[in-house]
Amino acid sequence: MTDTPKVRLRGLYKIFGSNDKDMMQYVRAGMGKPELLEQHKHVLGLQDINVDMMAGEITVVMGLSGSGKSTLIRHLNRLIDPTAGEIIVDGIDVMGLSDDALRKMRQEKMSMVFQKFALLPHRTVLQNAAMALEIQGVDEATRTAEGMKWLARVGLDGYEHHYPAQLSGGMQQRVGIARALTANTDIMLMDEAFSALDPLIRTDMQNLLLELQAELHKTVVFITHDLDEALKLADHLVILKDGAVIQQGEPQGILMNPSDPYIEDFVSDINRARVLRVKSVMEPLTGSKFAGDVDIRDNLESLIARSEGDTSLHYRVMDGDVPVGELHMRDLVKALVPRISSAA
Amino acid sequence: MAFYDGLFRALGLESWCGTGASDAPLSMADLMAQSRGDGAASGPMFPFPSLDNLNESCGNFAQTRDLTKGLEDGFLAVKDDIKAVLDPITQPLSWLLDGALWMFAAIPWFIMIPILVAIAWWASRSVAVTVFVAFSILLLAFVDHYDVAMQTLSIIFVCTGISILLGVPIGIAMSKSDRLQKTLVPVLDLLQTLPTFVYLIPLIFLFSVTESKLYGIAIILYAIVPVIRLTDLGIRLVDKDVIEAANAFGMSSNQRLAKVELPLALPNIMAGVNQTIMMSLAMVVIASLVSAPGLGVNVLRGIRNLELGVGIVAGIGIVLLAVILDRVSKAALSRVDLTRKSH
Repeated sequence: MTDTPKVRLRGLYKIFGSNDKDMMQYVRAGMGKPELLEQHKHVLGLQDINVDMMAGEITVVMGLSGSGKSTLIRHLNRLIDPTAGEIIVDGIDVMGLSDDALRKMRQEKMSMVFQKFALLPHRTVLQNAAMALEIQGVDEATRTAEGMKWLARVGLDGYEHHYPAQLSGGMQQRVGIARALTANTDIMLMDEAFSALDPLIRTDMQNLLLELQAELHKTVVFITHDLDEALKLADHLVILKDGAVIQQGEPQGILMNPSDPYIEDFVSDINRARVLRVKSVMEPLTGSKFAGDVDIRDNLESLIARSEGDTSLHYRVMDGDVPVGELHMRDLVKALVPRISSAA
Repeated sequence: MAFYDGLFRALGLESWCGTGASDAPLSMADLMAQSRGDGAASGPMFPFPSLDNLNESCGNFAQTRDLTKGLEDGFLAVKDDIKAVLDPITQPLSWLLDGALWMFAAIPWFIMIPILVAIAWWASRSVAVTVFVAFSILLLAFVDHYDVAMQTLSIIFVCTGISILLGVPIGIAMSKSDRLQKTLVPVLDLLQTLPTFVYLIPLIFLFSVTESKLYGIAIILYAIVPVIRLTDLGIRLVDKDVIEAANAFGMSSNQRLAKVELPLALPNIMAGVNQTIMMSLAMVVIASLVSAPGLGVNVLRGIRNLELGVGIVAGIGIVLLAVILDRVSKAALSRVDLTRKSH
């Protein structure tokens, strides 16, 4: 992990309509989405997006449908061109690339996983997995070897010669992930990759992604409308509403300090005990009598189980072998109650 | 005298119109009216102001048959230029047709029939279809219609082949450009709905009826439409998500066409090919009017000489050919479909 972001979005705007460039002046002057639609018949897709995505991190972009999250991810590889703004990948402005250079970048730097899998139905699983290499003109033997390797890694060995239609949704998405991994790119774009799967399989796939990420350290951009999923996966969470970023940062921080009533509403529904970690509620180390040691990355649920509901206990928080703070069960219980909207 | 005389008088156009009597030759209807001794007065009370009716009052109006004559003269005037361009371009078609006709005739039946049955097996992989094909050809041969059936078949092979060769690229171009699609669709509609006899007429002026390309062109013009339409449709119907994936992984547009769009459009293209085969068969019968050999000639003979039996046997022969071609191409189509849904 380095300090220079892998992908930077600077002042990104997207307006849908025939005269998008001319509409920029109104938007810059502060016109909102409903007014623009009503007065000029243009749809404001994204407004003033500034996001830094760090190498080796999972950046999750979360928002409800219509918030512009799928539009946003398609700007990174320019499947959609922005109306204004910069997209900088590895220090290179993607907007300045020629068609050939753009294709080269899509082949070598970014791969993508789709909500509806988007596999080639007339190709076998193996051919699908090796598609990226085929496009790059890699020879057949290498293609097969790489495809087999990644299919095995996502748990699909034995299915190489099946056709996608013969597999279940979860297995098809594993092929989608294998296809993205075989491309061997630094950046992986995942557009609601798990949204079409049923809950149990979705959890499996999330675990698979975390496992792969611990091993491969790709720069993952993950789009989702599911907050639980976002909190589980995110190193950096970006929340979109009506095409604008309303809060971004470390997910625990957003959970503890939502900056907007919209986000408060959002976070009020989730299982906080499972999502919040010791790190977010611990205090500096002062006391000396502890009921035991806990890891800084444990979630609160495991602690409640361990204390058997006794709120008078105190625990010492450890980061590896180093004590870094203390945790009072009373604080833990308070943290479980979401801060109610300022109005209440 | 005529109904509209008053109108031109009122507008002060009498002198421009002249006497009102046109020099143009009289139509048959006029002639008969004159010989019966009654004039325009016996016409309807208020005739539609058509060219012919206006001409009766004002000679400066052309008659409708001047329009048709003008069309004909115009066509005859440019005919030689069109011919100078089209003749060399279409000449290979004559060679192909003549070659195919010669080849189908030259190969003896005991080699030809097994070849056709083998083709049916290769395309359909269906025992039932193959047996049916063998049975039908043997039946046709048994009633001495083998030669004419082979002539028809060879014309269909050549014309369908050329239709696919030209139609698929046109369909691809159409699917890539909305403007081209908008311009071509009316042309395709016209080709498909124009009565088939009508576009034989200009072709007869352009080419000699002894040349086989005359009927070749007529058949191709008529039969190429479905393969163009369905190629266009098939490519446009390819799943947008899959296209997006192809783009996201950096496919060039040629790679996308060859690896994604054409394979996924193949079932539709095959359906178009099936239709093209059927339409060339329909046209090859009408083309016998302009010297196309084959079963159509016998049908024509049946009509001309009122030889009922000849017509019916040839007609049933055409039905058999149609069923053979349809079943084989449909079986091939469903085979293509299977590989993508695969079980």
